[in-house]
Amino acid sequence: MILAVLFANAEGNILIERFHGVPAEERLHWRSFLVKLGADNLRGVKNEELLVACHKSVYIVYTVLGDVSIYVVGKDAYDELALSEVIFTITSAVKDVCGKPPTERRFLDKYGRICLCLDEIVWKGYLENTEKDRIKRLIRLKPPTEF
Amino acid sequence: MAQPLIKKDDDRDDEDNYSPFLGIEKGAVLQEARVFNDPQLDARRCSQVITKLLYLLNQGETFTKVEATEVFFSVTKLFQSRDLGLRRMVYLIIKELSPSADEVIIVTSSLMKDMNSKTDMYRANAIRVLCRITDGTLLTQIERYLKQAIVDKNPVVASAALVSGIHLLQTNPEIVKRWSNEVQEAVQSRAALVQFHALALLHQIRQNDRLAVSKLVTSLTRGSVRSPLAQCLLIRYTSQVIRESGNITQSGERPFYDFLESCLRHKSEMVIFEAAKAITDLNGVTSRELTPAITVLQLFLSSSKPVLRFAAVRTLNKVAMTHPMAVTNCNIDMESLISDQNRSIATLAITTLLKTGNESSVDRLMKQITNFMSDIADEFKIVVVEAIRSLCLKFPLKYRSLMNFLSNILREEGGFDYKKAIVDSIVILIRDIPDAKESGLLHLCEFIEDCEFTYLSTQILHFLGIEGPKTLDPSKYIRYIYNRVHLENATVRASAVSTLAKFGASVDGLKPRIFVLLRRCLFDSDDEVRDRATLYLNTLGGDTEIDNDAKDFLFGSLDIPLVNLETSLKKYEPSEEAFDINLVPKEVKSQPLAEKKAPGKKPTGGLGAPPSGPPSTVDSYEKQLLSIPEFANFGKPFKSSAPVELTEAETEYAVNVVKHIFDTHVVFQYNCTNTIPEQLLEDVIVVVDASEAEEFSQVISKPLRSLPYDSPGQIFVAFEKPEGLPTSGKFSNILRFIVKEVDPTSGEAEDDGVEDEYQLEDLEVVAADYILKVGVSNFRNAWESMDPDSERVDEYGLGPREGLSEAVNTVITLLGMQPCEGTEVVPPNSRSHTCLLSGVFIGGVKVLVRLSFGLDGAKDVAMKLAVRSDDVTVSDAIHEIVASG
Repeated sequence: MILAVLFANAEGNILIERFHGVPAEERLHWRSFLVKLGADNLRGVKNEELLVACHKSVYIVYTVLGDVSIYVVGKDAYDELALSEVIFTITSAVKDVCGKPPTERRFLDKYGRICLCLDEIVWKGYLENTEKDRIKRLIRLKPPTEF
Repeated sequence: MAQPLIKKDDDRDDEDNYSPFLGIEKGAVLQEARVFNDPQLDARRCSQVITKLLYLLNQGETFTKVEATEVFFSVTKLFQSRDLGLRRMVYLIIKELSPSADEVIIVTSSLMKDMNSKTDMYRANAIRVLCRITDGTLLTQIERYLKQAIVDKNPVVASAALVSGIHLLQTNPEIVKRWSNEVQEAVQSRAALVQFHALALLHQIRQNDRLAVSKLVTSLTRGSVRSPLAQCLLIRYTSQVIRESGNITQSGERPFYDFLESCLRHKSEMVIFEAAKAITDLNGVTSRELTPAITVLQLFLSSSKPVLRFAAVRTLNKVAMTHPMAVTNCNIDMESLISDQNRSIATLAITTLLKTGNESSVDRLMKQITNFMSDIADEFKIVVVEAIRSLCLKFPLKYRSLMNFLSNILREEGGFDYKKAIVDSIVILIRDIPDAKESGLLHLCEFIEDCEFTYLSTQILHFLGIEGPKTLDPSKYIRYIYNRVHLENATVRASAVSTLAKFGASVDGLKPRIFVLLRRCLFDSDDEVRDRATLYLNTLGGDTEIDNDAKDFLFGSLDIPLVNLETSLKKYEPSEEAFDINLVPKEVKSQPLAEKKAPGKKPTGGLGAPPSGPPSTVDSYEKQLLSIPEFANFGKPFKSSAPVELTEAETEYAVNVVKHIFDTHVVFQYNCTNTIPEQLLEDVIVVVDASEAEEFSQVISKPLRSLPYDSPGQIFVAFEKPEGLPTSGKFSNILRFIVKEVDPTSGEAEDDGVEDEYQLEDLEVVAADYILKVGVSNFRNAWESMDPDSERVDEYGLGPREGLSEAVNTVITLLGMQPCEGTEVVPPNSRSHTCLLSGVFIGGVKVLVRLSFGLDGAKDVAMKLAVRSDDVTVSDAIHEIVASG
């Protein structure tokens, strides 16, 4: 299960969050935990360089893309490698939508598009689509090219 | 009205960096949402409003029921638009708004229409939305379409239906299970993702049917699975099948191992790692099976991708716990990871190295770790400290460099948990490695000179008070302790005073000087400190010999169980009458299971408060037994067993027994608890039938006058036995008593009672009861220092056994001795094993045992037993125990 996908800006404010199977009362805890994790470790990290951590049976893979930091939390089948696949899909979709690693402004400009991408990538806690071209077509309701 | 979104040129956005959602407000956005109702829909505008709604929802804004309903109804109007972008947004916002059951009906018809639309993408999305908002009744209506969708030519549609199936399986399993034919077909799909989703769903449908899962795995491992994701799933299912089948075939081959091994050569890293992990997780994996997996993991260690490095080092770290030798090949790669940017990876590498390293590499490793420690966070440091502690226990001869390392990091900055972990480690090392005691205590002394944590200071002072006086030169600690009286807060000062008093009581030579110091404390500004000083000055008396009472007072643990004291204090109501500690019941309650396990555990608590530790239970037993005049002439008890339950859990009367072994006697202490509130038991005795214990003769039975509800009491029965021999026997027990009804309202018992009895389980005294578990830190030295003439060697056939591990455990339990150097653990699949035991035999005779086990052909276990002891008769006795056991 992918427990959470979270986007935050450089100041640690949440831009988008998606939780799956995390009780509402635990979300605040996760939010602050992830933002702190990023504040401690993401400084000076190159775009898309993946960082990884595990906490009990839960894995976290996170990275930076432009002004935005991205966190993916998973457990069970979604271990660090599966999550790296998820986050890779997310970063390439975001780059695709924004044209380059986004500034915060640009990210918000493309907010709706990004929400749609996320909707195609993670579907109620499971990874669904992984190829950015396919996602790009899907969010426009175009059938994928392979078809 | 909020400003509409302004589209910015790409090159302007860097200089003009404000948020497009600046000043966004819920009310305004809801107003804007009215554009959804326009007869002429502006698709672009509508999409922008939906984006704003999404932003609000993502920022944690909530809509009231009315607001949500209103937005939802207007959104449904948007189905009229033919704009693709807008339609996609509509699907998303419906999912986000998650309409309630009575509203769903509004969109179902639109969605059903989309589900049968000619546009594939409408079909896929409509399926996903429908499955998100649907309930059971609606599902039966659309089931037909979903089944079709699973085998749809368009992979997006098929995937949407399959993934929906996975989710619906949670809520409507019986419906989804009907789709297995279609899903089976989808597993053969040429589209990678469809195959992945179909495999996941098929497995979930069949997960409770072992045979079906096994068949699925067998057929798929032969064919080719296209998608790496599906391949990973298949590997997981395969290892599940291997785990459940559990047996290795006649030829020693493990079923499906070849498949896993072939996956190590897959082109996708994901699959390679999954296979390597599956192999390392195999039950009782052999070194031969492990080698190829370790080799690929080793390659990952030097990968440029941090995720791969992390995955590999984490898996190897796990392997190192069970097969340290298999991982040693990777040590060089692992050492370079100590400087890895990612600290999680570095810490895992360090802890793995600490597990796999041999004695000679310890020093080099410590040097590397020292550089590394300064730039990791406390939680990682704690992991390292714990790893070093176990390393030190493994290589006691290396204590010097490890202890130095611990004392160095103790001086550096760090939080409480980190410091506590270090102090605990030093304390454990002091306890387990006698040579490390002096230097360890000095390190602790230096630490409290500059310790900011009151808790740690007081704990260390307490520990110093116990261990310090036993050292060669106790006087050197006094300075550190007395400094505390000057420099610290009241709590630490008070502990320092107690510690000083302990030195004074134990070391006669220091007493006059301690008195001078204690007298100075009489002028302290804090009451408690002054009180303690006064108390100790009076108890330790002037120049007279310190009597046992004073020593007991200082060193003895409180002989009242803390729980009982707590209950009594809670019950005590302030009145003229002072609280009398002598009225607190001393009986140990039938302990809960968790506590009973405690004596078997390693002392991991570090500086625990003494009354909670297992040794003090023995002390309190001893005190309790000595206080009973009938047993006074039995001498000191040699050993007290852990409580043995004589009743099942949750019966009317809970009884357990502790066996106290004396030189010529055995005393059974029956701890009884009455768990029925409406009953009072009187004149409770245990009738012991010793007909199967011929060499024992009953001498004393000490009944219990009354046993009220939930207030434990004890009955003692003493037997005489031949002196110094490990006599064994079996005893059957009956609890006999007079039962009286108690009025629950008044709590008063009736005058007349009825005689009754209660059958208890049988009790055995076995050879192990006559041997104390006492470990030695270096078995080889201890063995060689014993007289070789005392050695007795013989061989035994143990007959067919489940495995070596079971045989080893049986012998350890039979002898009741302490396994040394971790030799009680038998590596899986080994054909031979040596186990080292140490203990003290009744009469205080030290015994060492070396057991060599071998597996013979089928499952027959042969054992060679070599015993050395200070007394040859004891060596013989051990052989007798084994021969008769």
